[in-house]
Amino acid sequence: MRTRVFLLISIAVAAAVFFAARLVNNDYVFFAGYTVLQFIVLATAWNILGGYTGYVNFGSAAFFALGAYSTVFLHKFYPMPIPMLIAIGGIVSGIVGLGTGYLTLRLRGAFFAIATLALAVVLQTLVVNWDYVGGSRGAYIIRPNEIALIGPYVQYLFLLMLALAVIALAIARGIERSQLGYGFATIRDDELAAEASGVPTLRLKLIATTISGALMGMAGAPFPYYIGYLQPSSAFGLEYAVNSIAMPMIGGTTSWVGPLIGAILLGLLQQLATVTISSAVNLLIVGLMLVAFVIVAPNGIVGLVQEFLRRAGVHTRSIAIIVIAAYLFLGGIGGIIWSLKLTLGSGLVVFILAALCIAAAYGLLVLETWGLWLGIFLFAISIPIALAELLMGGVSTMVMLQIAIGIVVAWFLLRADVKLLYRQQKVAAS
Amino acid sequence: MGLSFDLLINALIAGILLGGFYAAVTLGVSISFGILDIVNIAHPAFIILGSYIAYIVNTRLGIDPIVISIVMLPVFYLLGAGVYQVYYESFERRGQESLRGLSFFFGLLFVTEVMLILVFGVDYRYVEAWYIGPSWRLGVMDFPLRMLVPCLAALAMFAALQLYLSYTFIGRAISAVAQDQLALRLMGASPTRIKRIAFGISIATTAVAGALLIIIQPVEPSVGREYIGRVFAICVLGGLGSLPGTVIGAMLLGILESFTATFYGPSWAPAVAFGVLLLTLAFRPAGLLGR
Repeated sequence: MRTRVFLLISIAVAAAVFFAARLVNNDYVFFAGYTVLQFIVLATAWNILGGYTGYVNFGSAAFFALGAYSTVFLHKFYPMPIPMLIAIGGIVSGIVGLGTGYLTLRLRGAFFAIATLALAVVLQTLVVNWDYVGGSRGAYIIRPNEIALIGPYVQYLFLLMLALAVIALAIARGIERSQLGYGFATIRDDELAAEASGVPTLRLKLIATTISGALMGMAGAPFPYYIGYLQPSSAFGLEYAVNSIAMPMIGGTTSWVGPLIGAILLGLLQQLATVTISSAVNLLIVGLMLVAFVIVAPNGIVGLVQEFLRRAGVHTRSIAIIVIAAYLFLGGIGGIIWSLKLTLGSGLVVFILAALCIAAAYGLLVLETWGLWLGIFLFAISIPIALAELLMGGVSTMVMLQIAIGIVVAWFLLRADVKLLYRQQKVAAS
Repeated sequence: MGLSFDLLINALIAGILLGGFYAAVTLGVSISFGILDIVNIAHPAFIILGSYIAYIVNTRLGIDPIVISIVMLPVFYLLGAGVYQVYYESFERRGQESLRGLSFFFGLLFVTEVMLILVFGVDYRYVEAWYIGPSWRLGVMDFPLRMLVPCLAALAMFAALQLYLSYTFIGRAISAVAQDQLALRLMGASPTRIKRIAFGISIATTAVAGALLIIIQPVEPSVGREYIGRVFAICVLGGLGSLPGTVIGAMLLGILESFTATFYGPSWAPAVAFGVLLLTLAFRPAGLLGR
């Protein structure tokens, strides 16, 4: 996939997410969604330095808070639109990242990690003693209730964070496939060998630190508007440092997908745990998951999936296909029964779809190529159907589940090795 | 003028006493980070754990915190040896210590802190002992026993460790493991075993450091975070792997912080360690007594 295509697709996904959230029409969705998106940006930013070059940054909270506090400062100094503030927050954090990196990255990697850990404490000390930005008492930011074109202000913030997430993911993916990314990987794998082969390691590390720091600052810049009352202890909260490490580590650090998966998974889990249990317990869960994953699954969820697919022979793939076929078959039977209750017109459509499902299940099981294509087609159209259901007021969690299953199965069936299974069958038959 | 001279002298004394305590906190890191090259950023978490154990036994049974910490030494030694075993099996042997090993310790730090918060809450806890409160006066000089006793205990611990490392077989093997693992293996000693012992000792020092911490100030679970910057700043300032360097570095930082607190206000003190760390890394990465 070219970068431009990726950008278009991710913008489309982002737009779908935004309109889906608007359809639910509940402010809580935007508040919770904002936090998850913020974690996507933070985790992706952390991973550009941590995952790609192997240098650990424990000071994500410091960079995040720098962005937030530059907004507070400018808010008092000269009011500006938020996108401007985001850019400025990014620049400030990027410069601090560059400075910290310049002083410590020439030495052993551990020094950088320790310096970032201490950076958070020091910046917090500075902010606590700086009365202009509120000192230890904190600062109020009064946000307008509405904004033109979009409506409620939360939705505007949500949209901004969504855009930031898309930008961060596009940058991460772009780096991964560029010369810069290969340079980063050489540093991660063997810095000495890279240096000896003429890779400008210090310059590359500084670039990574600056980009990573800038993105964290950008994630922090809208935060005062989101929370309304910014205290040093909330801006420098340890949960930012922990989450931005735990999310990529749990998702997988070697590609842009890992932090995304980790952030969505842990972010949603924490939203649920905060509501249902308590915020201290949910941090404990994150910490324990981090320790467990670094010991047991060093390459995160992405690594586990890759490992499974690599090890999975024809046997496992066949089992997966049988499961999919069974799912289609049961869905088909259910659809036929349901179609009997409907009016003639819509019942007929459901009946035909259900019959096609049963046919596809049969085709998949007997390894016919048409079965494969029919299956792919059915799962692909299940996504727009689910979206249409949402428009007509379906239960949103069920619809999301349906979409997720549709995407996963369509992706699985489109895999080259699965297609090979069907082609081999054909060759053997002829 | 007389008054400010008094202030100066007492700030200096307070700094030296504080520095002695910082030495106790840092000696363990000096062994793990300086000698073994294990970046144990969870060290402060073990210290806080030591503080809480001292607190529990002290409030229940009224035993002196320093005595408690000496009784707890073997327990912390075993804890440290266990942690090293996990670290070795999971990271060091696979060569993944830089990224995942660090994250592992970070996770440990975090989990310990949150668990303590869940069990004890965020209230400040303190201990009772005869030396908390009174102070010795020598002319204008003021020696609060609350600071003097931890300082002396720390110096005693330093002396014991230094003697152990220079005069016993295992102590010398610990120094050797940093210099040449292959040579050590040829001498018939297992580097892993030596490192396990050394890491156990490093964690054992936190039992004492924790007891000293709760003598000096009331403790709550997140106090440990303030010590991460300090501990590593001292370790780097003194020179990695040098115990005398660690004590000198600790004294220097203690004096600097005490002066900052006296003349600019205590809220600025946490920033001093970071400044020292950055300046040392920028101008003399080997530290004062570095190899």
